[in-house]
Amino acid sequence: MKRFVVFALAACFAAPTMAAGDAASGKQKSQACAACHGPDGNAPTGPDFPRLAGQHYDYLLRALRDYKSGARKNPIMSGQMSGLSTQDMADLAAYFANEKGTLHVMR
Amino acid sequence: MPAQAQGNAEAAKGKVSMCIGCHGIPMYKTAFPEVYSVPMIAGQSPDYIVKALQAYRAGDRSHPTMQGIAKGLSDQDMADVAAYYGGAAKAGK
Repeated sequence: MKRFVVFALAACFAAPTMAAGDAASGKQKSQACAACHGPDGNAPTGPDFPRLAGQHYDYLLRALRDYKSGARKNPIMSGQMSGLSTQDMADLAAYFANEKGTLHVMR
Repeated sequence: MPAQAQGNAEAAKGKVSMCIGCHGIPMYKTAFPEVYSVPMIAGQSPDYIVKALQAYRAGDRSHPTMQGIAKGLSDQDMADVAAYYGGAAKAGK
């Protein structure tokens, strides 16, 4: 029985319907991001580049998807999108959401 | 690009009432056109906040609520709001 439960749980996680982000994989894929957003997404190298560290996962994923689809237009970011799969975007969003940063909620 | 307006965080206090309904609530989510978390903007780079608002105003970013709000903001309003949120040091945590 115990073995069955373990197997059933493993099956659930092995075949998710939506790509779940993996922060460790995202870190491996984040070198190109670091050039503008800083190594951990919290030290942008230009004054008008956003901080990413600690931002909500689903917002970051949405931003990447919008850059890819063209719903959000930015020449630098659209240029980064061609090589990214849905899984890559989820991994990157998970990585940056997981980092500690200065972003917070304020009224 | 036009010279950027100088932001005044103090002046923003009368202008952020439209922001706090969504951005002032922890873990608040948009309901339209798709459900996802509203981004945290306090502690964000001020110049990026201005750029984001300009992109909404120009239609280069697609969220309808933000487009509507940005169209009602002057360059000075955007600079003030950016100074207010961008200048906010992280409290607690």
